[in-house]
Amino acid sequence: MYDYDVIVIGAGPGGYPAAIRSAQLGKKTAIIEKEAYGGTCLNWGCIPTKTLIASAERYHNAKHSDEFGISTSRVSFDYSAMINRKAEIVTKLTNGIQMLLKSNGVEMINGTARFEGTNRLSVLQLDGTTSWISAASVIIAAGSDSAMPGFLPKNKLVMDSRAFLDLKDLPKNLLVLGGGVIGCEFACMAAALGSKVTIVEMLDDVLMVLDRDVRRILQKKMDDLGIKIMTGAPLIDIKVAKGKVTGQYKDKKLSGDALLVSIGRTPNTASLDLDRAGVKTEKNGTIPVNKQGRTNIASIFAIGDLVCGSIQLAHAATQQGVVAAEAIAGIKSSVESMCPSCIFTMPEVGLAGISEAQAKEEGREIKTALFPFAALGKAMAAGSTEGFVKWIADAETGQLLGAQAVGNHATELISEAAVAIRNELTIDEIGNTIHCHPTLSEAWMEAAHVYHGHCIHMPKR
Amino acid sequence: MAQAVIFPKLGQTMEEGAIVKWLVNEGDSVKKGDILFEIETDKANLEVETFFEGFLLKIYIREGITVPVDTVVGYIGEKGEKAPAEPPKIETPVAPPAPEPAKAAASKAAAPQQQPLAQPPVAAPVAAAAVTKTPAPVKLIISPRARAVAKEACIDPFPIKGSGPNGRIVEKDVRAYMQSSGFDTLRITPAAKRLATLNSINILSVRGSGDAGRIMTEDIERAIKRKPVTMSRMRQVIASRLVESKQTIPHFYVTVKADITDLVKYRTMLKEQEIGYSINDFILEAVVLSLEEFPVVNSTTNGVTVSWRGDVDLGMAVSVENGLLVPVIRAAQTLTMDELKAQTKALAIKSREGKLTPDEMVGSSFTVSNMGMLGVDQFSAIINPGEAGILGVASGRQVPAVVNGEIKIRTIMAMTFSADHRIVDGATAAEFINAIKEKLEDVELWKSLI
Repeated sequence: MYDYDVIVIGAGPGGYPAAIRSAQLGKKTAIIEKEAYGGTCLNWGCIPTKTLIASAERYHNAKHSDEFGISTSRVSFDYSAMINRKAEIVTKLTNGIQMLLKSNGVEMINGTARFEGTNRLSVLQLDGTTSWISAASVIIAAGSDSAMPGFLPKNKLVMDSRAFLDLKDLPKNLLVLGGGVIGCEFACMAAALGSKVTIVEMLDDVLMVLDRDVRRILQKKMDDLGIKIMTGAPLIDIKVAKGKVTGQYKDKKLSGDALLVSIGRTPNTASLDLDRAGVKTEKNGTIPVNKQGRTNIASIFAIGDLVCGSIQLAHAATQQGVVAAEAIAGIKSSVESMCPSCIFTMPEVGLAGISEAQAKEEGREIKTALFPFAALGKAMAAGSTEGFVKWIADAETGQLLGAQAVGNHATELISEAAVAIRNELTIDEIGNTIHCHPTLSEAWMEAAHVYHGHCIHMPKR
Repeated sequence: MAQAVIFPKLGQTMEEGAIVKWLVNEGDSVKKGDILFEIETDKANLEVETFFEGFLLKIYIREGITVPVDTVVGYIGEKGEKAPAEPPKIETPVAPPAPEPAKAAASKAAAPQQQPLAQPPVAAPVAAAAVTKTPAPVKLIISPRARAVAKEACIDPFPIKGSGPNGRIVEKDVRAYMQSSGFDTLRITPAAKRLATLNSINILSVRGSGDAGRIMTEDIERAIKRKPVTMSRMRQVIASRLVESKQTIPHFYVTVKADITDLVKYRTMLKEQEIGYSINDFILEAVVLSLEEFPVVNSTTNGVTVSWRGDVDLGMAVSVENGLLVPVIRAAQTLTMDELKAQTKALAIKSREGKLTPDEMVGSSFTVSNMGMLGVDQFSAIINPGEAGILGVASGRQVPAVVNGEIKIRTIMAMTFSADHRIVDGATAAEFINAIKEKLEDVELWKSLI
């Protein structure tokens, strides 16, 4: 007999829902967490960045409220107060998760887990003692950490996103290495609070996952915020001296008060002793799994950032966690293939399904339709006229294959598209669905009318 | 004056074929030697060049239509010149004299130079689809309205019982069927429904994989893939020849295992001296030598008479994309090992590149099918009709074997001889395949041949 039916390693956005679902299904469940309940998402990722971004947006909006008839003589901010607010929210949420785990009867074990065998784990507790526990099934949800390659100087001015969130003061001049989602989100937040930000991206453009038309809007706005974007070459010769970080980009010497490194995340699998359990990993440390999250060892599952080919998003991990828990309980569910994503830049971006570029790569015949917020009454009223929504549909059947939204509230707007794509609606159903007026959501319906060539709110071509 | 472009006869046995692809459009200019179109015969795809210069005035025979050889498929002439709207239709059953076989094989699919209007024996084109003998469809008696309802619902009206006169299916029958067949409780996504309509998929036959059995586009895509696809002409010919063989030839099979350890060693030694032979070369030569010793295996029968083929025209099975070709090494008994090797190699390359002429693929007297490269322990091949047998060669494997009372690791290769029992008896078959085995195991023999 084992101590538990299910042990979950890691209490992030993948792990804790897996544990709760497992307990709901009547399994005796334990969860092992080495640091903080809620994982990266809640403590050093999604939630803290969104609280700071909310502060930054308020500040930015307050400064730019003249056109709304509000005059503000002197707007200032206290970054440490913003950090305190963030800390309060994080504490509230982590407590909430522990309460949820407890109420469902999940046993919480604080410590660092390692495999001792397929069904056996050792847990190194904070007081230095080690205990051994066993379970019929294990769900690995240990997450990932920012990649910090060896060529970077080891200095507190060279930091990952997690360390950045603990800064008491915002750097006046910020260098950002890597123009991916995390790099661009932090860049926008810092720039909105008055930092001079420079992003260096080795690829030809920042946020290459986005279609070109979306990138164009975003870049214009980032330009307005004063963010300098340097692409197509690496930042080399990175040094720290006299309280400055310097580096070489092409023939330019760049200098800043801090360097934020956001060049991807590496899976936390090395310290788990997976070989003792017989779990196979890829060269990069990720774990290959099937549609239910099962690894090569039938009783061991893996979910979230450390899964091979994972999209590395909190909400993807959550769904995978639920599926893994259900699979262990004998319920046949499988990981959803369509996972929407959101980028909290200024303005925001929401994505679902495939992009135009992907469709082209796959050789699919598609037809697209776009509707700009500038043509919507609500957008004008709210001062949110930047951006657009876009549908990508199968040219033959009209099936909705993808959607992109860029503009204020784009991350909220994308969920309608996700429901439509996931349930294989066609562009017709969207066009025929009455959308509330005046709202930003109307853009989806209007774009469908554009697709059909009978849009009322666009000039006749 | 406009010159007719004629569907060429590219081999003695070639009677018809189809243009797979025109590489020139109507109105395009052409030079001598330009490739006009690709044709598909029973055996291969070939490119056809033009002997004329000018403009392609007219295309009569479009892609995918099977026509007899010598059909006028188009006209080449001067710019502005008018070609007849219809191809000449003179019904002369007499075919023009075929070119010399050797010449036909050598000249790369060139349109014969002849006065087109003087002797164009044209038969009506036969649609390629007509080759498959599908049973005549049973006529469905259904009202237009009922048909429309069934179509809209994506269901096949065929199983519906008609209540109208003469069993005519009327709308209410379709509605009743929809209720009784479970259609009304069927769940399907809008995109899946659209896809089903566009592809005439009967959604009652589709299993849903979505939430609570909802039919998703993926399910319809699977159903579309289930639709019958007309096989290539090559595949159809393979199919009919194999069925003919299995139905008319009483096969029996004899397997032996040859110890090729020494042969492999010898081959490696030759390779070090930069003399390259493959194991297959040795097998083919061993077969040729053994066929000379056993004339009955190199014979053909119609069930009444048996005739020795004389020459060893050795067929070698070559797998190509989506099919199988059997090019023939003519009079292999007259070739040296070196010549045999060179021909084998040349034919294999031509097969894979699709450059074999039809004449290079007919008239074998015995066939070898070597699956040694494919990791198989043993297999029984099907006899090429008209031959007395076929040899199926499996992979050489390192296994423990008893040599002089001791267990040694040896390379052992199984060979299975499929024989036509009408003319080859068990004892002969055993002797024949053992003759091959002995040759493969006798390195001294090879030293004398190379």
